[in-house]
Amino acid sequence: MANSATEMLVGASSDFLRRFSPFNRMEPEALEFLSSRLTLAFHPRDAAILTPEMGPPRYFYIVQRGKVQARQTGGVAVTEYASLSLGPGEGFPIGAVSAQRPATNQYVAVEDCFCYQLDADDFLRLMQMSPVFHLHCTQYIASLLNQSRQQLQTTFAQRASEQQTMTTLLGQIVKGEPFVVAPETATRAALEKMHEARVGSVVITDDDKRPIGILTQSDILGRVLLAGFDLARPIREVMTTQPHQLSTTSSAYDAALAMATHGVRHLLVVDGEGRLKGVVSERDLFSLQRIGLGQIRASIEGAVDVPTLKHASRDIRQLALNLIAQGIGAEQLTQFISALNDALTRRIIDLSLDRFDLHGVEFVWLAFGSEGRHEQTLSTDQDNGILFPVAKGEDPETLRGRLLPFARSVNEDLAACGFPLCKGNIMASNPELCLTPEEWRQRFAKWIREPDPQALLNSTIFFDFRVIYGPERLGDQLRSWLNENTRNSTTFLRMMAANALDVAPPLGRIRDFVVADDGTIDLKIYGARLFVDAARILSLRVGVDSSSTVHRLRQAATKLGVSAEEVQAIIDGFHFIQLLRLRAQHLETEHDSPTDNRINPDTLNELDRRILKEAFRQARKLQLRLKMDYQL
Amino acid sequence: MNWLARLLPGKAPVLDLALRTRLEHCAARPSPDLSLSHFETRYIVANTEASGLDLDRDPLLAVAAISIQQGRLDPRQAYYAPLGEHPAEALTGLLEFIDRAPVVVFNSGFNQTHLERAFDSVLGLPPELEWLDLYWQLPVFFPEHHSSPARLAEWMASFEIETFQRHHALGDAYAIAQLFLALLGQSPALGVATPKALIDAEKSRRWLRQAG
Repeated sequence: MANSATEMLVGASSDFLRRFSPFNRMEPEALEFLSSRLTLAFHPRDAAILTPEMGPPRYFYIVQRGKVQARQTGGVAVTEYASLSLGPGEGFPIGAVSAQRPATNQYVAVEDCFCYQLDADDFLRLMQMSPVFHLHCTQYIASLLNQSRQQLQTTFAQRASEQQTMTTLLGQIVKGEPFVVAPETATRAALEKMHEARVGSVVITDDDKRPIGILTQSDILGRVLLAGFDLARPIREVMTTQPHQLSTTSSAYDAALAMATHGVRHLLVVDGEGRLKGVVSERDLFSLQRIGLGQIRASIEGAVDVPTLKHASRDIRQLALNLIAQGIGAEQLTQFISALNDALTRRIIDLSLDRFDLHGVEFVWLAFGSEGRHEQTLSTDQDNGILFPVAKGEDPETLRGRLLPFARSVNEDLAACGFPLCKGNIMASNPELCLTPEEWRQRFAKWIREPDPQALLNSTIFFDFRVIYGPERLGDQLRSWLNENTRNSTTFLRMMAANALDVAPPLGRIRDFVVADDGTIDLKIYGARLFVDAARILSLRVGVDSSSTVHRLRQAATKLGVSAEEVQAIIDGFHFIQLLRLRAQHLETEHDSPTDNRINPDTLNELDRRILKEAFRQARKLQLRLKMDYQL
Repeated sequence: MNWLARLLPGKAPVLDLALRTRLEHCAARPSPDLSLSHFETRYIVANTEASGLDLDRDPLLAVAAISIQQGRLDPRQAYYAPLGEHPAEALTGLLEFIDRAPVVVFNSGFNQTHLERAFDSVLGLPPELEWLDLYWQLPVFFPEHHSSPARLAEWMASFEIETFQRHHALGDAYAIAQLFLALLGQSPALGVATPKALIDAEKSRRWLRQAG
């Protein structure tokens, strides 16, 4: 008899549920299961039904009558809403129950409420049992994630706009007509006009308003006054030709980056047809000015000794920290760091060249590993080498003998500036790494031919080389040769793939993440490397000329027919992990501290944890691709 | 009619051994501790269904009960039985389900009386039970809705409570059970923390009402 009573009451619950999505679409047996396991409870107005302090929720709740408000707790805004109202038929907390961790929201009855409760275990069983319900929950979480991302962007955009924004398009920054003169204008006339108009630069354009040159105040002293240039002569003879240009649709970031990369203080902004729209100066980007990018750049360029550079190096670090604090993305951040570190390295090389007589010796300074990939974080030790061409009749040993002391000095200066000497002696001062193109090729060829574990490890470091100083073409030639020789070495690529697959993304089956005994994840080994290794293999296979993981992924994807959205998702995942690493290092002050790349997922906010999980899923996707391609 | 004969006063019912054993077992169960908190108390919401409202003339058709434990209504803990051909079976089952827990009814004048009479006439024993009447209780807890006793339909409307079938023993019990959940939810605010406190409050309320 009790049975028929239960049937009637369960029927009442399922009749209720059927009025709402997703229950109205749910499989009959799943709805039956759910209805038969629901219990009903009452929550008077203002009662807290569920709070984060209660720990992992024991129940999933479905509002039967009344209104429940989800309120955010803590300082970090996870979603776009500060509070969200839930009415009849709506369930909570989907994310917390599925992940078996405390709720992020506080759920409060804002009026007298009746809520159904489902045991957390039954909730998980229902997820397994009902594809409809499963989809509902995942979509909910995904939509929340999406909201969170947008929220994050809005927050950052707001912050940026408060600081005269870094994401503003250059078209919006440039104001008024640019100050232009024709190429045949007498230099004196141009300078007088400049003075009258109180501008720091003059752009020289052709008849179609296309810029052909620029002359800035800082050029005047050296090129005009000190050089005793005849002011009657046309300005085209003294201007800087091929001035750096950016389109109106580029951002202030792009401009700041270009200024840092090229060491210039003015950039021309042109429209889609190449016509001059304005000039953007370092001063215009004053939010950056405030951070001091310009000063750092200037102090690097103007440094006359290593102690000054040491200062600059500390400033770079400080700048990076500020940028992290401002919530700037990993991509821009690593580019900034990379551009400034490159400038620093070049300056150190220049200063050393004053002390060592390398007259007549051509060489390029190579960066390997993360520096080679433009992916330097704040704690990267040196990985560098030298490539020097040998002309006919020259003795490589003699040249090497001249280069090595110089390299040693550069290595030591770099160490003084905060780039620790490489423990594995992957440094230009190592005679093994100061090689002619022929010697580099032989070395690479041997690794490709005999891919033992050491050779594979070497490949992951050295194949990511990039020219920091010296003629790019020498690096390009080596790159072409490498791509040519790996493309068809299926065995080598397959071994590389097997090596890359040795480490799997730390995604747990039951818990969100697989962590070490101390509860942390090493985001270098179990995060960034997953993307870096896969990108390297794909790029070697299809012959991508870049050493950057992102460029490699993008270009390889095009050649391998992967959709742009798909590859963007992977890249986003990679950037997010890089950002977490930088943030973790932000908190560390020591280089190479063992905790450098370790993060404890429990200390992340809900948003970051979800994105991290998604990032690992992208890594898994990438690995799966390798697995299938190489049948591993 | 058979059932009518059994309801006639003074006629001792004849029960078979199995039922007698079950009833003895019921009677031997310990009485509940009424000083425990609501959360620790198992309440039974009971309700009856008769063919009309006249206690003397309209026969009892069915009984229903829903237990409330830990402040929750669990459909798996429910009882429904039409009296039909085997009223003794139905009522014994109800007593077993109640298991001496405090019984919550709406309008005890009707439901409690009906049940007590039936226990007496059919089973030959008026069981010792603690009764709570929401008819009296609810106005104390929710004077903002109704400050004096109101009908079940009015209370259901106030709380927007729905049920699958009105005037059905279990259908109405489901509505009453939800009202009782609301009452339990409100009780901490009024400092009424135990079944005993509820019972006492009802007594004084009735006394006041009758005296006034």
